[in-house]
Amino acid sequence: MGFFFQELVNGIVVGALYSLIALGFSMVYGVLKLLNFAHGDLYMVGAFAGYFVIQWFGGSKALTIPVPLLLVIMFVLAAALTGGLGVAIERFAYRPLRNAPRIAPLITAIGISFFLENAALLLFGGQFRIYNTSDFIPFSSGFQIGSVSVDAVQIMVVVLGIALMIALQQLVVRTKLGKQMRAVAADREAAEMLGINVNFTIAATFFLGSALAGVAGVMAGLLFNQVTNTIGFLAGLKAFTAAVVGGIGSLPGAMLGGLLIGMAESFITGYVSSTFTNLLVFGLLIAVMLVRPSGLLGQVQLQKV
Amino acid sequence: MKGRNIIAASALGALVAAGCGSSGGGTTAGGGSKACKASIGIEAPITGPVAVLGQEQLHFAQLALSLDNKQNKTKITLVQGDTQLDPKQATTATQQLTSNANVLAVVGPAGSQEVEAVGPLFARATMAFISGSATNVTLTQGKYPTFFRVVSNDHVQGMNDANYIVNNLHPKAVMIVDDQEVYSTGLVGFMTPILKAAGIKVDHQSVSQKLTDFSSLVAKVTPATSVVILPWQVAANAQQFGRNLAQQHKKAVIFGTDGLFSPDAFKIPGSYVSAFGPDITAIPADASLVTAAKKYGSFGTFGPPIFAATHVIDQAIASVCKAGQTPSRSNVLAAIKNTNESTSILGQPISFDSHGDNAHGKFFLFKINSAGKYELIPG
Repeated sequence: MGFFFQELVNGIVVGALYSLIALGFSMVYGVLKLLNFAHGDLYMVGAFAGYFVIQWFGGSKALTIPVPLLLVIMFVLAAALTGGLGVAIERFAYRPLRNAPRIAPLITAIGISFFLENAALLLFGGQFRIYNTSDFIPFSSGFQIGSVSVDAVQIMVVVLGIALMIALQQLVVRTKLGKQMRAVAADREAAEMLGINVNFTIAATFFLGSALAGVAGVMAGLLFNQVTNTIGFLAGLKAFTAAVVGGIGSLPGAMLGGLLIGMAESFITGYVSSTFTNLLVFGLLIAVMLVRPSGLLGQVQLQKV
Repeated sequence: MKGRNIIAASALGALVAAGCGSSGGGTTAGGGSKACKASIGIEAPITGPVAVLGQEQLHFAQLALSLDNKQNKTKITLVQGDTQLDPKQATTATQQLTSNANVLAVVGPAGSQEVEAVGPLFARATMAFISGSATNVTLTQGKYPTFFRVVSNDHVQGMNDANYIVNNLHPKAVMIVDDQEVYSTGLVGFMTPILKAAGIKVDHQSVSQKLTDFSSLVAKVTPATSVVILPWQVAANAQQFGRNLAQQHKKAVIFGTDGLFSPDAFKIPGSYVSAFGPDITAIPADASLVTAAKKYGSFGTFGPPIFAATHVIDQAIASVCKAGQTPSRSNVLAAIKNTNESTSILGQPISFDSHGDNAHGKFFLFKINSAGKYELIPG
């Protein structure tokens, strides 16, 4: 039973991370109908930002500021940096193509992804940068029940992830900006005619989605320790899958999809074999898509003809 | 139309003749008095996930070249090919190097899977290539006639490692995790039968080299599993695996190979790492080379074999020049086959058998102490 709960914890932690990245992916798709393949690379930039914050404050073994303050700076700086980068990408790469055929921004997104990956390579080199999280957040800071271990970083990732998801959901449902986002997502031209500043709304969506990717990048650095310029590709792929399975464009769907993939990976690795994890996870997802093509929480789009 | 074809065929013939002329053998007009000029290539993962290893290889190749040029009064230059440890990238790099008529031989590539991809291309170009880290057994079974390596092969390493685990660590059960690359699965294939024959329960798992979270896998490490074998190439992944073990309060010892020899990236105390290269800082005869190499920063076991491989090619080119010939791919290849160095940076002789294996290759085993330092285990 302990083994089951350990795998459950592992799945929820990784799933929370996937959910957070998938949220940004889904937000952008909802508003622009754009598959932003550069989203995973913003996660990579966030992870690097967190790493350099640790170095600026003395390195993992000799921090010059308290750990809680360090974490706040890491998350805030990564979110601000990736949010700003997301806005810049939207302004200079996607906005000029807003009325172009859909394939054009899609190719641009792939190009931006390669650009960010190679810019990071040029700036930071190809080697792994190591967070060494256990130097400043020891494993003993968590708890153990029977054979199930949960460390403080895992707790923080899940709690922060859930808090951000709830906050985002509330923002979309209850605030003026959220209403504007939903209006632009429903019908961009009609929203513009009603006086909504579409450019601002789209830029704000990119900022929020990219900031979430940056926060997820720091979380990944703290959890998995290693950062390199190529980590965004796989994370982006998993987030895209999570968003699609949950119902692309649906925020609760993105959360559910991320958790589902995280837990499926964990349980398949634990109870079947790590050799077949990707095969079985994606097989499961194909089965979900066959039963519900619009995703678990996605809505079927009716089109008048 | 027919006339145009004849002109095209003549032009093509002239080009082929010119190409052959540049890469074929010949005698220098002035015998040995003419400057001995040539280029050699290096294929290494200069960027990408294992760039730390590739950069080390590049630096040691550059060091060998500068020392040999000074010693032999040659003018050999180095042409770089970045493979990112990816067979596709290695193929592209090989096509670039083989189409450069000035490049007479190549150091690298690093991975066995890359050698599998580029072996036929080098064979077609009659071009020698010497790897300092590709250890898969099948590479030297006659498939690639221009391939050589200065290190031993996986069969020797797999046997040595498995026997050491059986005889010294006495586990009841082990978990062995390959990283889905030719190198890794090959080693697993050699180690598993020996472990099973000794009555050890073997749990074989497989993960992608791109995976960075091993918590689910570590949850499968049972209390009886006292050794986890990681024949991986990415040291940072093994460090994370070790961290996940500690996180879940598992006591199993990590036993890694080659790629895990990285004192900067992998430093889980109590772990073992077997490597095809020695720690040259512990070889007194290498003291001056260690000093010279320090300008590039810290290094592990991937650089010195590349130094040895580069030196073999440099000496082959110098010997061709000394014989009064113009260095070409074919005569450099012949000279490499005749290599017979009584000693090397690796602390062992280098000569090749008929399939390109170093007849004197061996493996080295290290244990990481509580301070994270690698200590050689004698024997």
